[in-house]
Amino acid sequence: MSAKKEAYNKYEYWLAGIAALPGRKKIYLENLLGEAKRLYCMPGERLEQIPILTEYEKEGIRAAKKKTEEDLEKELAYCRQKGIMLAVWQQDTYPVRLEHIYNPPYGLFYRGKLPDKEQRAVSVVGARNCTCYGQTVARQIGKGLAAADILVVSGMAAGIDGAAQQGALCGGGSTLGVLGCGVDICYPAANRELYERLATDGCVVSEYPPRTRPLALNFPQRNRIISGLSDVVLVVEAREQSGSLITVDFALEQGKDIYAVPGRISDLSSGGTNRLIQQGAGIYLNMENFLESMHIFAKTEENSCKKQKLSLENLERLVYSCLDLTPRNLESLWAETGLDLGRLVETLGTLQEMGIVSEVFKNYYIRSDTD
Amino acid sequence: MYSIVSTAIVCGIRSVLVQVEADVCDGMPAFEMVGILSSEVREAKERIRAAIRNSNIRLSPKKITVNLYPADIRKSGTVFDLPIALAILAAYGRIPQEYLDGILFAGEISLNGEIRPTAGILPMVLAAREAGKQVVCVPRENVREAQVVKGITILPGESLGQVIALTESYFREPGKYKPDMGSNIEETAEKPQNADVDFAAIHGQKVLKRACEIAASGRHNMLMLGSPGAGKTMAARAVATILPPLTEEEALELAKVYSVLGMFGQREMNFRERPYRSPHHTISLAGMAGGGTVPKPGEISLAHKGVLFLDELTEFKRPVLEVLRQPLEEREIRLVRGSGTYFYPADIMLIAAMNPCSCGYFPDRNRCTCSKAMIERHLNKISRPLLDRMDICVEVSRPALWELTNSQPEENSALIRSRVARTQTIQGERFAGSKILYNSQIPPSAIKDWCAMEAEGEKLLSESFERLELTARGYYRVLRVARTIADMEGAVKIGRAHIYESLLYRSIDRKVWDWE
Repeated sequence: MSAKKEAYNKYEYWLAGIAALPGRKKIYLENLLGEAKRLYCMPGERLEQIPILTEYEKEGIRAAKKKTEEDLEKELAYCRQKGIMLAVWQQDTYPVRLEHIYNPPYGLFYRGKLPDKEQRAVSVVGARNCTCYGQTVARQIGKGLAAADILVVSGMAAGIDGAAQQGALCGGGSTLGVLGCGVDICYPAANRELYERLATDGCVVSEYPPRTRPLALNFPQRNRIISGLSDVVLVVEAREQSGSLITVDFALEQGKDIYAVPGRISDLSSGGTNRLIQQGAGIYLNMENFLESMHIFAKTEENSCKKQKLSLENLERLVYSCLDLTPRNLESLWAETGLDLGRLVETLGTLQEMGIVSEVFKNYYIRSDTD
Repeated sequence: MYSIVSTAIVCGIRSVLVQVEADVCDGMPAFEMVGILSSEVREAKERIRAAIRNSNIRLSPKKITVNLYPADIRKSGTVFDLPIALAILAAYGRIPQEYLDGILFAGEISLNGEIRPTAGILPMVLAAREAGKQVVCVPRENVREAQVVKGITILPGESLGQVIALTESYFREPGKYKPDMGSNIEETAEKPQNADVDFAAIHGQKVLKRACEIAASGRHNMLMLGSPGAGKTMAARAVATILPPLTEEEALELAKVYSVLGMFGQREMNFRERPYRSPHHTISLAGMAGGGTVPKPGEISLAHKGVLFLDELTEFKRPVLEVLRQPLEEREIRLVRGSGTYFYPADIMLIAAMNPCSCGYFPDRNRCTCSKAMIERHLNKISRPLLDRMDICVEVSRPALWELTNSQPEENSALIRSRVARTQTIQGERFAGSKILYNSQIPPSAIKDWCAMEAEGEKLLSESFERLELTARGYYRVLRVARTIADMEGAVKIGRAHIYESLLYRSIDRKVWDWE
């Protein structure tokens, strides 16, 4: 391997932005030619003679060559204006973990601060259409990892991904989101707040150049970066045949540990995670236990104590005990507690004021975080 | 010879008397009709000619002129057939003019001389009484409708020949015909309402039932949110059965609306019952609000003083829902057309039902795969201003099997109705002398006077205002509903428990999905 690069030049930026070419071929070409500029300046007939390129890839390169030097300068100016940076192969900032995976990205566009190379990293992934249970657990995991100073890597998607990253931000930890679009685009749009916080307090990265639309075909590929950037992949909720399982496949290929959060066997949304456990994935039961298996002994006792400090009245305890992380509607609570409606509603109101119960949908209640 | 006969025309739900003049003279045989006539009135010419001939009356060819006045109102409808035929016969000298004087005639005639029922008889008879007429001759099928008006003598018309004989008989012996005192309408007042639906048939669903009772007590609009098959439609129908019967005045106003549309038959047997209308979601704007060049009442007026139920609220066309906003505030609908402005009563209790998401099963994640964005898009189909008019919003879930098979007797509608009536009496006493009748109508300016709170309740509400990010409108809604809940218990001031319960039914006015 040649010496590390100081900074990237516009030709490297150009090479990183060719979507048709997989990362490993970009790296191969750069090694072959010595520098990215040579590929940019290469005449058409010589490009034809490169044996490893498919017709589609050659076409992609030809199309990219139409960009003039001024175009590239303009794009670089846009990146500077948006605060978008690039870490290319062989550069100092390029994450070490990615150097060892199959088909590493040639360049990573990012906003925010790339994580410390020494920091342990766990990717927390799962379904977009998750349940309250999944959402709450993902949040708690995010917080727990933050407390143990572990980087939370995820896809900034709706559902589990977003919840885990929000949890990490809440806990004051570091987190990194890998996008399937350009880092200047917030997708999904509903996660705008999270996106902004990641760009300032955490990091958003993507192998796709700025202004790339969130195409469906980008997302499975970005999953290899999610798993590649972490030491352990933790799946919170996934149906069988969920997209999150693609991340697991990559992780297995890359030799990472897989952990899954078990769910009830009747819950379709935990079908994939339960299957993973059956196939030998680690079982996530609580943060302490999980960290132990990662050989980290963090001080999480204060967290576990907190929950027992709750002092509830009899009635409140009764109602609280009927609730868990699966939403229950008023009708069934009424039937189960046998209280009269007024008392039940008043108790629910008090519990909500205390912040230990929340109404997640019209007349549906769950237990909520105490911390 | 000249003759004149009285009839009437319906404008909106009011009626105006119209005079039919006929003149028959020698000259080129012709039949002329004047007086701004719509095509159905002009066609009366052919029907009358055939009907007179088929009633075995031979008329010699002469020049006939018919005029309908006042001439500045456009005449439409088919009620003019009978009066025109009689005016012509009188002008020919076949019926003495004095037989027809003082009687209001209305009815459509078929080619064989039979008299057919028409729409709008009730307002016409009312107009006749106001104008001082004591006798009306209406088609036999419309007699029950005319009988709603007390103190007027009704001559049932069957055929042209029979009407001629009847007028003669009435002229000779008026004492044989007694004015009707609306007795048969009184009879139906006591009949059981909507016998096919009853709250006793709804098992479990205690929250929903409680919400229904509150909604009915304070006449609050209600939105039900729940999965398919949860019993939303049945509950809405049942709400109509726990509303106290209409007062006579209200019933008469409602009957006029039905009469104008020729639908009096629907009110005949249950005159004092609150209407229940559930238009399908494909309904057009005109169907909902009323429409036409001379507008006819729409569903919103047919549900006057009763329940308008909109099932699958999200499927209705946006303009159809938005048109409800003004009538919900003003309790009547104003339709402006080139021919004038028409007012129809539209004092409704709106009940709506919708699924929580497009598949209907949210938040049951084993069945629902809708994404957050899809659910928000689904709920956003309902505009904020309409949601603002929904005082009560309640979740409805499918009852468990044990609840359905539970043989414990449930409260029936009659029992609930008596409680609702009591709560409404309390409201009636409170609002005596003001324009409003129910808690749902308390204007923001009067909230302070009529919704007095205990200190604890006030504290809770102000805390909740912050915590739940209520809007000003949401705040008033919570208070109005709390007022009703307090009235149901007979409490003078709104307490903490009332506020808590009211908050339970608050509308989905902020983030519906609130998992974060």
